[in-house]
Amino acid sequence: MRAHQGIAFRTAYVIAGNASDAEEAAQEAFVKAYRALGRFRRGSPFRPWLLRIVANEARNRRRSAGRRAGLSLRAAADESSGDAAPSPEGVLLADEERGRLLAAVNELREEERLVIACRFFLELSEEETASALDVRLGTVKSRTSRALEHLREAYG
Amino acid sequence: MAELETALRALGRDVAFPPTPDVASVIGGRLERPRFWRRPVAIALAVVVVAAIAAVLAVPQSRSAILDWLGLRNVSVVRVDKLPAAPAQGRLDLGRRVTLDEAKRRAPWLRVPDSEPDSVWVNESLPGGKVSLLWGTPSNVRLLLTEFTGRTYIEKVVRGDTPVERVKIGDAGAWFQGPHVVMFQDRDGRFRESHARLARNTLVWQVGDITLRLEGGLTKDEALRIARTAS
Repeated sequence: MRAHQGIAFRTAYVIAGNASDAEEAAQEAFVKAYRALGRFRRGSPFRPWLLRIVANEARNRRRSAGRRAGLSLRAAADESSGDAAPSPEGVLLADEERGRLLAAVNELREEERLVIACRFFLELSEEETASALDVRLGTVKSRTSRALEHLREAYG
Repeated sequence: MAELETALRALGRDVAFPPTPDVASVIGGRLERPRFWRRPVAIALAVVVVAAIAAVLAVPQSRSAILDWLGLRNVSVVRVDKLPAAPAQGRLDLGRRVTLDEAKRRAPWLRVPDSEPDSVWVNESLPGGKVSLLWGTPSNVRLLLTEFTGRTYIEKVVRGDTPVERVKIGDAGAWFQGPHVVMFQDRDGRFRESHARLARNTLVWQVGDITLRLEGGLTKDEALRIARTAS
């Protein structure tokens, strides 16, 4: 499970909206997943199953704290310490553009923001996104295309 | 449409997620606390875990499942119906070329087989870093031995019918027969398909904290023979 803790924590963070709730949610989910491993349906994909448990924990924490999901994304301040060459997409997307696009994502309705975060920021598959958000695959598809439509309108 | 999606993915790389806490270690303590379960329950659970893993192994056509190899702490295996497209000549992410002595200075734990490699590489951009010993050239790899410790993780994507066999070497080992896709986790903790490449027969084994990965056009016996000289 160690190999999945990064994606588990980020998924929890996207849903819970803050790091300490996300950490608790990921911890609790790992314990639950470990104990439920015997019930894990043979032959079905493991990561969506784990992410579903993680996301449930994250949602519970968000609800019980009475907060609305406060995912507020900010662009990383400093990329200079990273690898030598920025990715071609990174060059493509200038700072100002990035800020604008990020603002547009943050303006989306929560359900659309979550689907965009899962699909493009966390790079989850459609199946994993459906598991994490506890919706059907068709809903992920339609919500994604609606969210992209809204982004295109806002972002131009 | 595609442009916006590309832009969103690029943006995702710049989103400042908080650093991932070491959840697995913390829960490791919670799970292993002796008073947590009475012993028979703990044994029963262990049996269930082993059975779940054995079941996945025993059903090669299982559609898609990950198993965390007992003992291979830094490797996870995903079984799929069809391999994702990944270039055979994909990026090796070897990093910087160094001398063998420098590599040993940087990674005192490094294990070197009997025969000296043609070149030695260190990639420190991965969490924990990795050292690669290469026979042949980067564009024509005969044999590649990659070693890493601690915080580096790899994911292997194998087709349902690809044999994955546990072998006796070091603390734990596994032999992957035939082509499969391999990905290293990047410093953000993500496995990126863009960094995936198609790998050939591979032996992966664990010695203490070190994970070693030997890839090339080798039979299992040849790989094991080389591996043993490095163990």
